[in-house]
Amino acid sequence: MATVANYANIFVRYDLIGSGEAKGVKVSNKDSAMQKVLDCVLEGDSDNIAAAVNEALASKDPMTVINDGLIRGMNEVSRLWDEGEYYLPQAIVASDAMLQGLDICEKKLGKALEKKGTVITHTAEGDIHDLGQKIVNALLRANGYNVVDLGKDVPVDEVVAAVKEHKPVMVTGTALMTTTMTAFERISKRLVKDSNYVPFVCGGGAVSLEYVSGYELGIFGKDASEAPGMANDAVNGLSWSQLREKWNN
Amino acid sequence: MPKYDKMAYASADEMIFGSAKNPVKYGRDFTVGGGYVYPELVPHPRPGTESTKKTLVKEYEKMVTDVLDRCVGIGIPGIQIELEHVYQMTKNPEWGGEIAAATKHLQEDYFRKYGLKSAIRATVADYRKPDEEDIRNSVALENQLKTFETSAAGGADNLSIESVGGKEISDYTIVRQDIRGTLFGIGVLGSLDMEFMWKKIVAIADKYGATPGGDTNCAQANVAMFMAGGFQDRSVPHTFAALTRAIAAARSLVAYEQGAKGPSKDCGYEDVIIKSITGNPISMEGKTCACAHSDLLGNLVGACCDLWSNEAVEYHDMFGGTTVAVFAEILGYDVSLMNTAIELGKAKDLQQMMIHSDKYRDTHGFILCPENAYEIGKAIVANNTSYYARARAAAIKSGELMLGDSKLQISAFEKESLESAMRTLESLPDKEEDFISECTDIYKKLIPGFTLANYGL
Repeated sequence: MATVANYANIFVRYDLIGSGEAKGVKVSNKDSAMQKVLDCVLEGDSDNIAAAVNEALASKDPMTVINDGLIRGMNEVSRLWDEGEYYLPQAIVASDAMLQGLDICEKKLGKALEKKGTVITHTAEGDIHDLGQKIVNALLRANGYNVVDLGKDVPVDEVVAAVKEHKPVMVTGTALMTTTMTAFERISKRLVKDSNYVPFVCGGGAVSLEYVSGYELGIFGKDASEAPGMANDAVNGLSWSQLREKWNN
Repeated sequence: MPKYDKMAYASADEMIFGSAKNPVKYGRDFTVGGGYVYPELVPHPRPGTESTKKTLVKEYEKMVTDVLDRCVGIGIPGIQIELEHVYQMTKNPEWGGEIAAATKHLQEDYFRKYGLKSAIRATVADYRKPDEEDIRNSVALENQLKTFETSAAGGADNLSIESVGGKEISDYTIVRQDIRGTLFGIGVLGSLDMEFMWKKIVAIADKYGATPGGDTNCAQANVAMFMAGGFQDRSVPHTFAALTRAIAAARSLVAYEQGAKGPSKDCGYEDVIIKSITGNPISMEGKTCACAHSDLLGNLVGACCDLWSNEAVEYHDMFGGTTVAVFAEILGYDVSLMNTAIELGKAKDLQQMMIHSDKYRDTHGFILCPENAYEIGKAIVANNTSYYARARAAAIKSGELMLGDSKLQISAFEKESLESAMRTLESLPDKEEDFISECTDIYKKLIPGFTLANYGL
C-alpha cells in the first residue's frame, strides 16, 4: 500500500496556525464569592451558579452581583468567543448560567431588570429547522433583550399579529429552505402595508443576501452572532435601511 | 431492538465503490451496487415555484428534462433522480405523487428513445415537531405516509426519509457540546422513532412494489458537521461532530433492521459504516455537493459509494447550461472515472487516492475512511444489546481512533473537547433503562415539550 510522505502538498491545516497561543481569561475579582460567580459564567457551570450567586448576595447587593459578576463574566465570554478561543457552545452554556444567576438576582431585587428592548423571533412557515433561531434567542437574552419566541413553522399572520402586539425593536426570521423563506417577503409586504417599518433580520440555511435585499425591511443575517449587535443598532435608532447599509454592504 | 450482530465484510479492504454485498435492482434496468457506480442527481426548485402545484410540477418537468438531456448528450449510461421533497410536496400528498409520475414519464420516454437507465428516489419531508405534537399520531405523520403512497403509486422506485426523532434533544445539546444528551437524542430516541417509522415505510413500499431505501441523520449529525464547518469556524468542535457521526451510524442502521434495502440516502455520511455492517448499497456525496454545503471529506467519502450525489442544486442558469444539467455532467464524469478504474482493475488504487486526499484533513474524514469506519461498525455489532449500548460503543470507538493516531492533528481545544466527551461517555450507566431514566430527569426540565410518549416509552 502506497503511503503519503508529505500531506502539506495535499492540504494545509490553517486552523492550527497560532492555535497554541492561548490568551486566557483576563477578568478576576478579589472577592472570593464574586470570583465564584465569574468562574461559573466563564465555565458555563449551571450546576453551581445558584450557590455561587446566593453566596455573593449574602454580602453584595443584587446590582453589584449582576454588573460585576454576571454581566462582566458574560462580556469576557463574548471577548473570548470573538477572539476564537471559545466556541459557540461555551457562549451558549455561559449564557444559560448567566441567565439562571440573573433570575436569582432579580428575585432578590423584587423586580426584573429593564430590558434593552423586545425582539420577536420566528422560523418560517413550513420550516421546522429552528436551531439557528434558538441560538439567536440565547444570544439576545444574554445581551439583555426580551425575546418573544414564536417558535417554528409560524404562519405569516401570526408574525404580523405579534409585531402589532409587542412593538419590537427588531424581528428575526430563520429558514433552512429556499422554498420556505418566501414567507419572509410576504411578512415584509404585510408590515409595510401597515406602515410598520421594523427591521426584519432574515437568515439561516439557504437564505441569501441577494434574496433578503429584494424586499423592504429585510436585513440579511449571515450568522446568529450578529443578532445582538443588530438589535443594539436598532435600539440606538438605526432604521431598517441604515441597518442594511451597515451590516450588508 | 438491534438485530445486526456481525459484519457483512470480512475486512475493510473488501469494501469498494460500485459493489455491495446486496445489490438492489429497480427502475429501468437500474442496479445499484452491482459492479458500477451511477450518479444520483438531486434538483431543487427555485423559490416561488412552490406556490402552486402547477408551477411546481412544471419546474420539475423542466429540471428532469435538462438532466436527462445532459445524460444523453455526454453518454452517461444511467442515472437516479432524487425527488427530495420541499415541504409543499409532502404537505399536499397529491403534489408529491404527481411530480413522481411526471418524472417517471420522462424517464420512460428517454429509456424508450435512448435506452437510458434510470430510477427515482422519493424522499418525503419529515415535518413532524417532536416538542409540539404527538409525532406518532399527527397530521404531519398522516400526510407523510400518504405521500409515500402517492409517490410509490406515481412511480418512485426508492422510498426514503430524513427522520427527525430526538431532534428536540439534540438541537439543545449539540450547541452546548453535551455528548450525553446527543447520545440520548440520536442514539436512543432517534433509533426508537426510526423503528416506528420504518415499519410503516416498509409496509407501504411492499404494498406498491417499491424499494424501501434509507434514512439519513441529516437533522442531527449533519447539523453538528455543518456547524463544525471549515477550519476557521468556531461553532461546534470538529471532534464533537465526529462523535455525533459515529452515534448516527448506530441510529441510521435501524432502517435496515426494519427492512430497508438501500441504496441509502446521499447525505448520510455515516453510511460507509452502515455498508460495512449491512452490505447494502449506499449513496454518498462529497465535493459534488459543494453547491449545497461545504465539507472536509470531498474525495474520501466516495471511497465506498454505489451512487454519487450532489445533495441538492437549485435550478438556475449557468454558462454551461442549467445547474441541474451541469451537475449531472460533473457527477457523470466522476462516476465515469470510478467505473474506468473498475474496468482497468485499478479501483483499489483510485480508492486509496480518494482516502489519502482527506483522511487526515479533518476528524470526520478520519473516522469515515473505510478502515476506521469498519472498526466503528465492529464496535456497533459487538454491542447489540440495546440501541444505547451500540451508539455509545460507536462513539467511544471513534474517540479512541481519533486519539490513537498521531497523524491526525487536533488543536488543544479540540482535543480537550474530545477528552471531556470521552470521560462523560465512559461514566455513563451500562444499562439502557438507567440511561433513559437519567436523561429523562435532566432534559424534561430543560426542554419544554419533550415527552417520552413520542418514543413509545
